[in-house]
Amino acid sequence: MKIRFISILAAVLLLGGAVAPAAIAADLGDVGFVDQAAIATLPAFQAANGQLNAYKSQLDGQYNAAIKAARSDADRQRITIQFQQKFSDKQREVVGPLYTRAKIAIAKVAANDNLTIIVDKRIVIFGGRDATKEVIDLLQSSQALAPPSATPPASEIGFVDQTALDALPKVKAANDEFAKFATDQRAAFSAKFASARTDADKAQVGKDYNKTLSDKQDQLLKPLVDQTKSVTADVAKKKNLLLVIDRADVIFGGTDITKDVQDALSK
Amino acid sequence: MSRMPSASKALALLLTLSTAGALAACARVDVNSPQIRGVGYVRLDEVVKRHPLYGQLAGIDDAIAALNLSALGPRVPRSAAQIAAQTKSLNAQLKAAQDRANQIIAQKQGDFARKEQAAVAAALSAAGQSGAGSSVAGQMSRTSAQQAQAAAAAANQDFMAYQQSVIAQDNAALASVERELQAQAAAKFAARSEAAQQRESQLSLQLSQADASARLAAKTRLSNLAMDDATRKALRAQLAALDKKEADALASLRAKDQADLEAYRKTLQAETAAGVRTQAAKIQGQTRAKLESRRNEVTSQLRSLAPAPLPNNLSPALQAKIQQIHQQFQTQFQADAQATVDEYNQTKADLDRQFAALHGADVGATGAVGKQLADLQKKRSDLYDKIVAQIQSETSRIAKDRGLKVAFDNVEAAVGGYDLTDEVSKDVESLHE
Repeated sequence: MKIRFISILAAVLLLGGAVAPAAIAADLGDVGFVDQAAIATLPAFQAANGQLNAYKSQLDGQYNAAIKAARSDADRQRITIQFQQKFSDKQREVVGPLYTRAKIAIAKVAANDNLTIIVDKRIVIFGGRDATKEVIDLLQSSQALAPPSATPPASEIGFVDQTALDALPKVKAANDEFAKFATDQRAAFSAKFASARTDADKAQVGKDYNKTLSDKQDQLLKPLVDQTKSVTADVAKKKNLLLVIDRADVIFGGTDITKDVQDALSK
Repeated sequence: MSRMPSASKALALLLTLSTAGALAACARVDVNSPQIRGVGYVRLDEVVKRHPLYGQLAGIDDAIAALNLSALGPRVPRSAAQIAAQTKSLNAQLKAAQDRANQIIAQKQGDFARKEQAAVAAALSAAGQSGAGSSVAGQMSRTSAQQAQAAAAAANQDFMAYQQSVIAQDNAALASVERELQAQAAAKFAARSEAAQQRESQLSLQLSQADASARLAAKTRLSNLAMDDATRKALRAQLAALDKKEADALASLRAKDQADLEAYRKTLQAETAAGVRTQAAKIQGQTRAKLESRRNEVTSQLRSLAPAPLPNNLSPALQAKIQQIHQQFQTQFQADAQATVDEYNQTKADLDRQFAALHGADVGATGAVGKQLADLQKKRSDLYDKIVAQIQSETSRIAKDRGLKVAFDNVEAAVGGYDLTDEVSKDVESLHE
């Protein structure tokens, strides 16, 4: 009787062990990636870039002539802004439609393959679903692409916009302070370098300079980086996310938690 | 103890083994758990720092930092081609500024001349000399008009060309003087530095010779294997004391030499700067004199083409009035033209500063530094790529072994997922043992 009970218990345990992971939560199979470098080599993108480069060369000549004729710094600034605007307009005109088509193609592939996020290939070391070929095939097809009607499902991979976080007053203040420190140290160490006589002395100056900057970075910026990571993790936990990556690596989908992290850091 | 049937025994054994296996598996992380969900990540920057080749990478970073620091010194690291290109660009900008200034001045000159003629004609008419006025105007238009304008334009063109060539000579002479003075200063500094090094080498030699017998005696005694620990310790302390004494004496002399050299460097810099200023003032003075002289020549040539003289029968009052008109327009023209000249001078001063800074560079030495920097940066990039490729390969292998579905490089924050950093670091370290 006792043996039978143990046998049943063990069998239940085994069975439970075998099915548990699938029953509790499925593995994350909805992460895709795209090789953006491969897309950039497509003839349409290369032609657009060639066109843009030719326009830039032509614009550079005009810009140099205009700058030479400028009589004041204000003139020079106005001319620079004017030419930058011209280039941006051309960029929008030449590359804009291609980017829009690429974005739609990526969204369609994500919808077809049930991917909740598509990231840049560079950050995926192993696994994931390579969507590059599907995206390229769609891009190169002659068919008109309409954006998928359904919005992408929520992803358990989140992202934060580091640029936006860097613009927070306390982060900016720390970055500015570090930049000033680096400039001062550069001047001080260059004087030391000038009086160093042997190669060994010069190498030591370089080493000391790097260490000085690294120490200051640890003192000034590391606490902020740690705090940002901790706050990001807290927000991610509340939003039931597994991981958070940088926005720059996200091509499509994902869960944006930048605002929540900004708010939490600003408290 | 009851006996079990054989089938039950076998089942119990199987279950025991299975349970043990399941427990053993629990010791390994369950990558399919809700916290991990088949997702892994590696903190790449951290593994790079633990990679056996990281020391080499940091060494290259230090060397790059040292070379970059040298770029802040008086010799800016530019290649000869870069200096030539920038010189060409500066010269072109200077020429454009000269052309612009000359064109504006010529335009103003014409405008004021026309206004003056109109004012003179009006004054003559008002004085009842309309015939003389129209005659003067007629003479002017007949004799000067196109011919005078063409001559003035040619003279101006000639003057501009002369001005450009003189200024170019001025710049070249200045750059040459500056290079020469800097080379002299560098040679003096190198000589002083070498003398200091010789002094230090001499002292080092003297000290080691003075201590040679004591050192030899101590070393000879230390080679005796039968010596007791206390004596051995005392002898080692004696050797260490000798080393320290020599090192201290040398360090003291070196510190003194460093201070001396630093002071000498500052003196040389001040002397060089003063020398450059003096020479620049001299050269620029000569340039101004040459330009003034040529300008006078051109003016007298143009004066000969000036409008026909006024009729002799004009009253002294009218002649005085016409003279006053001339003076008034001359003053207005000079004031107006001065603004253009000032603007040009400002542009020229700015370009001269850039020119001087550019030619302060030691082409030979800095070209070498630039190349060295580029080589080091390539070396660093290659080494870093090699390290990262190895880390990624190990991460990939471990992720596959663990049964992960996907593994990321560097994440901003992780609530779940499987952190592969430690395992990858250990593997990478063990590969190099």
